[in-house]
Amino acid sequence: MIKLTNVSKSFAQFQAIKSVSLTINSSEIYGIIGASGAGKSTLLRLMNILDTPDSGEVEVNGQLLTSLSQAELRQARKAIGMIFQQFNLLANKTAYQNVLIPLQLVDFPRHERKARVMECLDFVGLGHAADKYPAQLSGGQKQRIAIARALASSPQVLLCDEPTSSLDASTTAEILSVLDKINKELGVTIVIVSHEMEVIKSICNRVSVMAEGEIYDTLAIEPQGVQHLEKSPQSFVEQLKGEGGG
Amino acid sequence: MIPDVLRQYQSEIVEALGETFVMVGVSVVAAVLIGLPIGTFLFLCRKGSLLENKWVYSILDTLVNIVRSIPFLLLVVFLIPFTRLLIGTAIGTAAATVPLAIIAIAHYSRLAEQSMLDVPRGVLEAAVAMGASVKDVIFKFLYVEARSGLVFGLTTSTVSFISYSTVMGIVGGGGIGDFAIRYGYQQFKTDLMLYVMIIMVIIVQLLQFVGTTVARKIDKR
Repeated sequence: MIKLTNVSKSFAQFQAIKSVSLTINSSEIYGIIGASGAGKSTLLRLMNILDTPDSGEVEVNGQLLTSLSQAELRQARKAIGMIFQQFNLLANKTAYQNVLIPLQLVDFPRHERKARVMECLDFVGLGHAADKYPAQLSGGQKQRIAIARALASSPQVLLCDEPTSSLDASTTAEILSVLDKINKELGVTIVIVSHEMEVIKSICNRVSVMAEGEIYDTLAIEPQGVQHLEKSPQSFVEQLKGEGGG
Repeated sequence: MIPDVLRQYQSEIVEALGETFVMVGVSVVAAVLIGLPIGTFLFLCRKGSLLENKWVYSILDTLVNIVRSIPFLLLVVFLIPFTRLLIGTAIGTAAATVPLAIIAIAHYSRLAEQSMLDVPRGVLEAAVAMGASVKDVIFKFLYVEARSGLVFGLTTSTVSFISYSTVMGIVGGGGIGDFAIRYGYQQFKTDLMLYVMIIMVIIVQLLQFVGTTVARKIDKR
């Protein structure tokens, strides 16, 4: 599904990625973990040429992205969804209008757009928030809108750049459940970059550990499932006692 | 209620206000139709942006700076041959719109660029990741997120244009500022000058109020 062959990338003097090759299979949830500065976000951004590799090849959905023209690349990107740590929603558009944008970009049939937007919003459980602006939503809700937006044009691949890193633990679980559902129900291949071990362990089938611009190791793991954290005050008290009292 | 001196000069004042309206109106149109695209290119051509192009950026940047750094009266005089070429005469309200439009374009392109710089980089990055073309990025993302700043900037610019238009008497452009100087100052009708100043203050206040209200209304951030 995604194949990187000897890709490398430098920024000014700094070599962010040093000749990396990896293959991600269809319908996998693939994790990339590492310390900050290890190059994991850059590696992800090479997968849709948001950063252009200095050398090497990038293949997604059977297309060699590194050999496409700008127009062809734009077309290919429409089949690759992406979500970000900072959500990157349009603050001046409602949730509904945000999800509508990719449909406008792919020339989705006009009379089916409304139904498709609502379908995506319902999928992430936010059908009721269609008319809300991002500023009126919580961090977790914003990320779910961003996921709905990424799903609207039915991509085969979803790239997630630190999707939960600005969220608290219980909201993280909420986002991970949605991602897992996307993978299971829609068969979308998901790549998750994160520095949080819990995130990677809970839903990934395979994981690459990155260090200093290289893949240190790649291993298959059994996803442990999303831990739904309680956020009632009593649960906090119990956790505190449990940790303290031993 | 209305002072006698204003009644006495009513028709002249109305005519002068009309001239100001034409001069400022043309400036605003030029600012939006030409200044906004130039500001957009300034934004898109800068280092690290979507259409990064050192040459285009440097040329536009330098031009905008030059126009803005020349004292406006000198610019008006300097542009007389160009105005004559364009309008056929260098005298009158129509001729006065030429230097005003040029300063308006330079003025607003800079403010437009600045309001676009306030748009989070990530939003435009998301646009590119979605497969948006440059045109889509501009109209579906950039202007949507920058719109409040663009309106704010246009309001600020318009107030400046009114101020610039007051010196257009030098090329017979007329306008309310010119009226205040010729009738009020030069004919020692200090009260008339004062009243005209009050009229201008009211106009600017109204304009700023409308601009601020609209900018706030369309800002959902």
